[in-house]
Amino acid sequence: MKPISRRLLDSPLAGLVLVNLALVVLLASCSCTHVDNLSGETVNNFLNADNLFQMSVRPSFFAIMAVGTTMVIISGGIDLSVGSIYALAGVGTAMFLRWMTAGEAGAAAHPAWFVFMMGLGVCLAIGAACGLLNGLLKVGLGVHPFIISMGTMLIFRTAAFVPSKAESIPLPDALVGGIKATLGLRAGLNPVPALIMLATVAAGAVFLSRTVPGRHIYAVGGNLEASRFSGIRSGRVLVGVYVFSGLSAALAAFVGCSFYGAASGGEASGYELFAIASAVVGGACLSGWRGGAVGAMFGAILIELIRKSITTLRFDQNYEWGIVGAAIVLAVVLDQASAKWTARRLAQGAEAPADKSKEQRSGA
Amino acid sequence: MKPSVWTVLVALVSGCVLLAGCGSGGAPTAKTDGGPGKTGESGGGKTLKIAMIAKSSTNPVFSSARSGAEAAAKDLGAKNGITIQIDWRTPPQEDGQVQAQNIAQAVNEGANAILISCSDAGKVTGAIDDAAARGVPVMTFDSDAAQSKRFAYYGVDDIETGKAVMAELAKLMNGKGKIGVLAGNQNAPNLQNRVKGVKEEAAKYPDIKIVDVFYFFPETPQDAAAKVLTVNKDFPEIDGWAFVGGWPLFTKALLTDFKPDKMKVVSVDALPECLPYIEKGVVPVLLAQPTYKWGYESVKIIVDKVQLKKDVPAMNKMDLVRVSKENLGSWARQLKEWGFTNVDPDYLKLP
Repeated sequence: MKPISRRLLDSPLAGLVLVNLALVVLLASCSCTHVDNLSGETVNNFLNADNLFQMSVRPSFFAIMAVGTTMVIISGGIDLSVGSIYALAGVGTAMFLRWMTAGEAGAAAHPAWFVFMMGLGVCLAIGAACGLLNGLLKVGLGVHPFIISMGTMLIFRTAAFVPSKAESIPLPDALVGGIKATLGLRAGLNPVPALIMLATVAAGAVFLSRTVPGRHIYAVGGNLEASRFSGIRSGRVLVGVYVFSGLSAALAAFVGCSFYGAASGGEASGYELFAIASAVVGGACLSGWRGGAVGAMFGAILIELIRKSITTLRFDQNYEWGIVGAAIVLAVVLDQASAKWTARRLAQGAEAPADKSKEQRSGA
Repeated sequence: MKPSVWTVLVALVSGCVLLAGCGSGGAPTAKTDGGPGKTGESGGGKTLKIAMIAKSSTNPVFSSARSGAEAAAKDLGAKNGITIQIDWRTPPQEDGQVQAQNIAQAVNEGANAILISCSDAGKVTGAIDDAAARGVPVMTFDSDAAQSKRFAYYGVDDIETGKAVMAELAKLMNGKGKIGVLAGNQNAPNLQNRVKGVKEEAAKYPDIKIVDVFYFFPETPQDAAAKVLTVNKDFPEIDGWAFVGGWPLFTKALLTDFKPDKMKVVSVDALPECLPYIEKGVVPVLLAQPTYKWGYESVKIIVDKVQLKKDVPAMNKMDLVRVSKENLGSWARQLKEWGFTNVDPDYLKLP
């Protein structure tokens, strides 16, 4: 049996994790230091608790979205509407809570946990409804999901923009306080978004790898016809993955809008590309069948680290998108090369014992 | 055993780490650039690091604000014997969430002060308050977050700006006609206030009717020009435009499509790209925001507050400059002096 270190290094995610770690080392070693105002200690600009916690916030939104996006990609589809679902779910929740807490008593009329749970419920319901619409349109009309989700992307964006009248709608303190809770840590350290990300990724990973419906998604993405002949109700599976995608976008919206305290119709423009990029960098294959939730999370973290390195290493921020784009292409090319090399190595490994047994037989 | 592709990549990145470490004098962590809210020591002198976060780096008005901030950093640094560093952290596209993140990142990386033009006041208010709580003073320019704990704002009074645009337009149209109002991002509080000002002023002219307010996003010159041209086709009755930002005039698209005798236009902003519109009479009046001063004056206020410990007013009003054919030459020379390199030399020769 292989040693644990060898097994870890042979894992498909090993390279991605190592690159993330290498970037962390690079940023920590290249950063200047400053005197922390609160503690009075000299701290590394990158390797300080405030920065690391703050850095965990932004990839949380993308990673949560990317879990749903990865499921769609594994099934052989694509969902371009997740950014718009984020905006619609955020605005819808903010408007609902504003209506609910209106009046003289205001938010004080309801306990904070109730407001929080109502907000979460409404947000997820909007996301699930949007995802269901995407799934039903894709399966019912048989149109390519790129076209369907591009259309719904514009529809959902309009639905978020028009009723909000372009206003940035504040969210109640119950939500902001809940998502920005320090959980016993000192002020300024907000672990909740990262914890929600980890929980979502863990749930996504278990669902995909340890449950029958999760394995059905791989089967449908690998070969739609074959999965049908084997008795899988592929229509249901496909509708389901778009519902998951909508739910994950809505959960990201709930965390993101609550963290920043407001929601607007222009929210999350272009985030769909980050979610797709996170999934792809994390090992998902756009033709389906391959990918995973954990990889998507590391993909999101890698993209965020690259963006972070642009400011930390004092590159001109105007090059940000170009650098991120080049890194995505490079990561995918390297991943494909790595996959080919691994396949060749496995094939050689399979041939070697066969040759050996042939020799043994001839020797006997 | 052959190394995997990923191992090669990790080796390359690790090599970069070592090179970066060596390249920065072998002791990168020895560099100190000051703590939040107080100036730090760098190379034996004090350093004041100001993180500047404009709305978007693709909008030329913010490039001139950056030039102004850098010039002020040089001038005031020499005057006060300190190094003032402008740390440009403007996102490529408008995004309030990214701005909020950049504020937090600037604080975590030791900025002594933050200067921001808010894309979405609702989104950045929490981050501004967090920065203030950690002892990093925040100032706003151009677009304010009035409900936040920022210590000062520098910019035009947006409602007054809207009123001034409408008053000039009403004069050109002899107090009658149908007009369109061009605004950019609906979430930007400064633009909302300018539109409000236009509407309030228009109410004084019973024969002037506002057909509609036309928004567009992203705020790029091309998108703005396309919006105006489309609206003109759809609403042929429009014979006047109030631009609360100069976006379409950063292109040449309207130079040929607008006939001065049929369409009257007044706009905010007078960057070098806009001057041909004045010369050809297509836009007879521009109300310029001296955008260079956004940077210059704001840095001055920050230095007064953070370095010299002076009391500074919370509201610092920037006056508009009325640019027309009469002062085209002097305005062009002013722009050149502020570091704009694309001013047409012909305008510089004008009296």
